[in-house]
Amino acid sequence: MATETPGRDESWYGAGEEVDRIRGAAFKWACLGATLFGISMVFVLLLYVAVDAIRPFSADAGWYLAVGLAAVVPTVALLAYYVRRDREAGWVGATATALPAFCLLVGSGVAILVIEVFPPHEWFAVVPALGAVVAVWAVHQRVRPDPVEFERFGVVALAALVAFVGVPGAVPSLEAALQSALLWLNWPTMMLYSFAGPIALATGILIARRHESRRAGAVATTLTFAAGVVSILLAPAVGVDDYLLVVVALSVAVPTALYAESVLRSGENVSGLALPVVAYVGIAVAAVVVETYGFTGPAAWLDWEFLTEPHSRFPQRAGIYPALVGSIMMMLVIVVSAFPVGVAAALYLEEYAPDNGATGRVVSIIEMNIGNLAGVPSVVYGLLGLALFIRYADMNTGSVVVGGLTVGLLILPIVIISAQEAIRAVPDSMRQASYGMGATRWQTVRNVVLPEAIPGILTGTILAFGRAIGETAPLLMIGAAAVVFNAPGAFTEQFSAMPRQIFAWSSEPSAEFRHGVLAAGVVTLLVVLLSMNAAAILIRNRYQRR
Amino acid sequence: MTEWGNLLLYRNHSRVFTRDRTIHYVMDGTKRPGARGRREFLVAAAGVGASAVAGCIGRSYEGARAGTDESDLTGNVTITGSSTVYPVTVAVAEEFQQRYAGVDVTVDSTGTGGGFKNHFCPGNSDVNGASRPITDGERENCASNGVEPVEFEVAGDALTVAVNEAADWVDCVTFDELAQIWGPDGAEQWSDVRDDWPDEPFELYGPASTSGTFDWFTENVVGEASSHRSDYEATEDDNIIVQGVEGSPYAMGYMGYAHFEENRDRLKGLEVAVEDRDNCTPPSLDNARSGDYPMARPLFVYPDAASVRENEQVAEFMRFYVENSATDLVKEIGYVPASEELREENLDKLRNILDGTTSTETRTATEGTNTTETNTTETTTP
Repeated sequence: MATETPGRDESWYGAGEEVDRIRGAAFKWACLGATLFGISMVFVLLLYVAVDAIRPFSADAGWYLAVGLAAVVPTVALLAYYVRRDREAGWVGATATALPAFCLLVGSGVAILVIEVFPPHEWFAVVPALGAVVAVWAVHQRVRPDPVEFERFGVVALAALVAFVGVPGAVPSLEAALQSALLWLNWPTMMLYSFAGPIALATGILIARRHESRRAGAVATTLTFAAGVVSILLAPAVGVDDYLLVVVALSVAVPTALYAESVLRSGENVSGLALPVVAYVGIAVAAVVVETYGFTGPAAWLDWEFLTEPHSRFPQRAGIYPALVGSIMMMLVIVVSAFPVGVAAALYLEEYAPDNGATGRVVSIIEMNIGNLAGVPSVVYGLLGLALFIRYADMNTGSVVVGGLTVGLLILPIVIISAQEAIRAVPDSMRQASYGMGATRWQTVRNVVLPEAIPGILTGTILAFGRAIGETAPLLMIGAAAVVFNAPGAFTEQFSAMPRQIFAWSSEPSAEFRHGVLAAGVVTLLVVLLSMNAAAILIRNRYQRR
Repeated sequence: MTEWGNLLLYRNHSRVFTRDRTIHYVMDGTKRPGARGRREFLVAAAGVGASAVAGCIGRSYEGARAGTDESDLTGNVTITGSSTVYPVTVAVAEEFQQRYAGVDVTVDSTGTGGGFKNHFCPGNSDVNGASRPITDGERENCASNGVEPVEFEVAGDALTVAVNEAADWVDCVTFDELAQIWGPDGAEQWSDVRDDWPDEPFELYGPASTSGTFDWFTENVVGEASSHRSDYEATEDDNIIVQGVEGSPYAMGYMGYAHFEENRDRLKGLEVAVEDRDNCTPPSLDNARSGDYPMARPLFVYPDAASVRENEQVAEFMRFYVENSATDLVKEIGYVPASEELREENLDKLRNILDGTTSTETRTATEGTNTTETNTTETTTP
């Protein structure tokens, strides 16, 4: 063109009228460098912390030989085979291997709750009471298929009232009655009925739907329940309290078996199931060999004692258990408080809020400020929690509820934003189709928008929870204790969370605390965090495949 | 049975968007009813039988988690306050917890002033640790909430001035020299203080102004409360002071003895003299205990008298604390244990609280029998 300047020519073309590729290549390599720099920094840090926590160089050569030959070499060889020959089967194998480990973590979390917060007799009282409410709902659905407006809601609310509240002073609730009436049952039996029972039922329903056969469902129910019974019978041999083994064993066995069954039934990539077998049998063989020949493993700071003991002034005896329980309980409060509020706010902003006129402008200002709130430093939320929950509402300083609500407020904007993104991603054509079929806005939201958006909402929310579990500053502000020796038994008790405990260790004079114990705490926190992120990825993948 | 199964299986048939698989379920579920009844009966019978067996075999846990300790004391003891007293309190709490497993002890490190202001005086904690005596303002603040702080001196600390190992030109400093270095408009270069010291600028590391250690140092060494130079690296964490001093040959810092002891091979602890440079004393627990070391300072805990009277577990914790304050437990973590006399006196004081004869005004008990007598007197007379 006539208006082109010579300078521009020079910037894009070399002297010989050829396209200059150097700039593009340089830019590409600069970007690659930035990526590698970031990743390697984090990786080096994690490696450093992991080496401190596990001390791999303190193990015998024999230990390495046994573990390497029995577990690592076969697993790696099999993985290499999958990578070269059959990637799909490799993915199946990796999932089947990771699933039991992940479920073990989740199951241990539930077991900790049973130990510390809901002992079996309370659990046993709550589950049938809930079951009674569900039963009332189901019966009502059958008896009156076409209820009048709010009839079903009223019936269910009444059932819930009878089950959990009763008439104060006169009639005890179903839950209270169960708690006092059934003392003759021992704890394992209670857990068998109230934990294994519902899980067996759910498994049966799932299998019945999957196989389109009620017989298969009944078999699955029986097998699951029998697995619960067997785990109780085996508990003395394993050395774990029987009522806890039911919880842990079923948490691991049921999802693993369901996954394996689905792979076997589909008949595709069945060879992938060899990986977990090789890996876990290898680990078991290695354990037996190490035990027989008496090799000493690495003197890791992160050991069983660390996970089950409270802080001690002797680094060798120090542990993280009460802080771990505190963190789990805090997460429960966060889930119960931030999730419904955040999703409801996002639904309103996306589905109901007007987007033009004066109110539309107010709404857009609100949305903008939610984005700003997501960037407010966490110390400020700590101050807010201190003022709101402790000074004004007069809750206990440093209690689990205050911690959970404060951190819940902190991640609320993130939950709202990610839920909004997920809701926005539902195609408008689906809403229009629903309206076209005569559905109301409420029916559209309930039956079209929410089911489509839930995977995205869950993924974003779990990532936000991952941030919540690592927050330290708000906990300092609300007075979560540096050291707690007994795990909190109720949500109103003072607690310590993992990051708070790690921070307390960082100011200990002894180097063993600052390098060994602290590193073990960091690795524990990271494992919990990464397993939460893994859950988010699992959920996303599961729903994307459909 | 069939109807119930249908209910559970097909409960989403009323949804607007039904997956077409549901129809298959309906077809399947309504076939061959006869054989199923028998089979389901068998299944149900097996389940009930198995659970009955488990009910007989599983262990019973009635009261399994209580009653393992020698006392059935329960309740909470919440401790806040100084980060210097915190290690002592944590050690005592750990021992206490082993004996009284039913009591929930929580220890937080909030700083002396922060603990009084935010936790103890509003009535949210039972005991506050302090590395300096409570001020009159704090006492009034507590009294307005009905909280009665009572002073217990439980341990001592040998505040240590440390320099880099390479600083071979200095072995001993006097209070006057320290005041020249750390006071407002303090010396810029080492040679400004003593002529034979190098012509190099100071690199100073010390506790932040919120710390009780800072208060004690300014009052007793610099000579005037809160008069401290501001151009130094102020931190809440003694480990940072250690790292800073280790990192530069011209650095100087002061910290609690426990942190110095732990890093003795990386730092050089200076001997200290009040006036006369011929009278230098190295920092050590023995010297602090005998009163020879001039920078020995007392550490306190302040229980709320009302809480001690009302809560048996708080009273028991304080009794346990006072008794253990004179043992090696305190020495092992780098602090000066209380003397036998001090322990007896503290026990008397605790008895008086429980009898209701102690008021907040009787707080001069630490005088006379105090192991670190000279310093307490300095502390209480500004």
